[in-house]
Formats: sequence, structure tokens, C-alpha cells
Amino acid sequence: MNAPASLEDLRGQLGELLPRLRRFARVITRNVQDADDLVQVAVEKALARAAQWRPDSRLDSWMFGIMKNAWIDEIRARRRRQRMLAPEEAGADVGDASAEARDIALSVQAAMERLPEEQRLAVALVLVEGQSYKDAAEILGIPVGTLMSRLARGRAALQEMLGEAR
Amino acid sequence: MKFSDEMLMAYADGELDLVTRAEIEGAMAADPEVRRAVERHRALAARVKSAYQGVMDEPVPARLASLAGGPVAAPVADLVAERSRRAARRAAPAAWAFPQWAAMAASLALGIMVGVFVMRGPAAPFEETPAGIVARGELDAALTQQLAGSLGTGGPQVGISFRDRGGAYCRTFHVQHEAPLAGLACRSGSEWQVQVLAAARAREGGLQPAAAMPMAVLQAVDAAIDGEPLDAEAEAKARDSGWQPAPDMAE
Repeated sequence: MNAPASLEDLRGQLGELLPRLRRFARVITRNVQDADDLVQVAVEKALARAAQWRPDSRLDSWMFGIMKNAWIDEIRARRRRQRMLAPEEAGADVGDASAEARDIALSVQAAMERLPEEQRLAVALVLVEGQSYKDAAEILGIPVGTLMSRLARGRAALQEMLGEAR
Repeated sequence: MKFSDEMLMAYADGELDLVTRAEIEGAMAADPEVRRAVERHRALAARVKSAYQGVMDEPVPARLASLAGGPVAAPVADLVAERSRRAARRAAPAAWAFPQWAAMAASLALGIMVGVFVMRGPAAPFEETPAGIVARGELDAALTQQLAGSLGTGGPQVGISFRDRGGAYCRTFHVQHEAPLAGLACRSGSEWQVQVLAAARAREGGLQPAAAMPMAVLQAVDAAIDGEPLDAEAEAKARDSGWQPAPDMAE
């Protein structure tokens, strides 16, 4: 096995990135179990393609792209099998927030879960992961204008579900 | 000048150029409705982000930490989290006490075992012997050779390794044989004795690697483990020495 010299470097950086990868996965899969499976798949893919990673490029964007593709593949596979999507009751944990903060967090998560896939991805990348519009559009493989319209529709839907005045 | 909601959103996200920013700031000063729209965008962004902040503070599961490496190297993260969750449950009035978990784990394991007995033949990963169920074939090979976190090839996958209270080495595993199974096996002589087996969550396609351990297996690990799971170095050492029981149990 002729691993590139930067493989260990890549592993180390992926290790630091794991909490964020898990967070992103949690948003897009809506399921704790699926989320960590997705992170594992993405990390394995990244390590297998280590040669494609340029150390001067942003690892988070690269990983988000890998994760998004793996998740889309997974959804398509599930649909092909005509199976149900992730079960509703498998809600995400929200950590050790106070009871009030947890209620808010859960209602936001419940609203997020109801967003269409493409809007949820846009919201996850920009609002949760702080990616720029340009980076988010690149990760999703869409023009910036499309990203903006998905993001705007996603936000409008969230605001409506969360009961905020328009 | 009237700005579209998308434009105000982009402003709130810090995406606009200097000139447009200044124009919007002018509009905000002149029109409270514009200002409120920007504030709504900002508030929603903060709310969404904070809703997922909890994930950042969760311990990273061992299978991910060992795969990716780096400073997150907490080989037992999800075990530790599981223990503290269980401790919290025990402390709570309505908590399920330990024996109930054990009984549940046992009944789960039993249910699967009935199925396992049918799994015979040269390729079966288990065999029933007078001493109990032992690992065979590719499962035996994986338990003997594979280091945790090594890239899966679709075959059995080893999770964590540890020493039990008698000094024997034990390892958790996932294996696909007619159904996805997860379990715990401990080294006895030259064989791996299966201590518990449980149904793992069904795999539904692209996500091939092992799922997290079922509760029954975590429970068995918790009951058997002495101290902490092996780190990568100790695991490699144990493998190279043929998983012989550690003679010295001193820390």
C-alpha cells in the first residue's frame, strides 16, 4: 500500500473535523444512527481518495461534498427499495441544554426535518456550518442563484413553522 | 429602493459587496420594515445554528474517532457516554435497573441464537460447540487479524477490544450472515467464544460499514470489561502476541 505522505495528516485533520461532520450529518439525515454511518462512510471515502485532496484546499467543504453525495446515493437506494425514509421517532439528541433551550432546539429540529431535502441541505451548509454561498453552491453542484433561492425558501418555511411573524 | 427578501437574506449572511451593503444599511435606517426583515433573518440563522450546537459537545463515537485519528482519539467515547447515560437512568426514580437490562439483553441474544443454530455449513461464521458458540471462518479470521477501525471490505468488522476481568481479550464485532448481527467474543485458548449476539440495525443499501453497537452488546461489554478498551497500540500488540491472556493485570 503506497499511501501518500499526507495520509496521516489527513486523518488527523479529519479527526478534528469529526464533531462538525457529525453535526452536518445529523442535520441532513435527521437520524442519529444514519448520521454517524454517513460520517463513517464519508471518512472512509475520503481516506480512500486521499490523493485527490489538496492540503491547501478546505477540508470541510470537500467532506461536506462527499457526505452530500453519499447521502443522496443512500436516499436513492432506499427509494429504489421502496422503503420508508428514516423513522420519525428517532429524534436527535440535543446535548445538555437547559430544558427551555432544549424545547427550542427540538422545535427547530422538528421544523428542519420537515424541509425538503434540497432546502435542508442549503440551510445546513450556510446556517449551521457557516459555508459561504459560493462554497455551498459548489458543494451542492448548483449555481449560486439556485442556492440562494433554496436557502430563501427553506428559511421562509422554517419561519412559518416556527410561528414567527412574517 | 426596494430590496428583495433574498437580498436582505444575503445581507444578513454577510454575503454582499460593500456598495450593496451600504445601500441596504441606508434602507434599514429609513424603513423599519426592512430592518425587521434583516433581524428576522439573523435571528433565524442564530436559532438554527444553536439547535445543532449540542452535537458538537457530544463525545465522538469510538468507531469514528479510531477511523479518523487525530486528537479526538477517545477510543471509548460512546461506551463512556453510554455508561453515564445508564448511570443517569439508574439514578432516576423510573429508571430501568440493571437486572432488567440484563434480562432484556439475554432474551434478545436468545432469540438470535435460535436463528444462529440454523447457520451451519462451511461458510457459517459461528459453530455450536460443547463450550458454547465459537467464531468460525471469516469472523474468526477478522477477530484474530483485524484491527479496529481498519477499512471495512464488506466482511465482518471489529469494533472495540478490551480485557475482561479474567485477563482474556474480548472484541466486539459486526457480521452479516442472513441478517446483520453484532456481538461480543472473548478469546479462549485458540478460539473466540461468542458471549452475546444481537440483531444489528438492518442495513439499507449504500451505508455499508458497521452500525453502532446494539444495547445488548454494549451491556455485555459493560459487564465484562476491566478498565478501559485497548487503544490502537495495545490492540496491535495483543494481536501480535496471539491474544494470549495478559499475565499481569496491574495498571
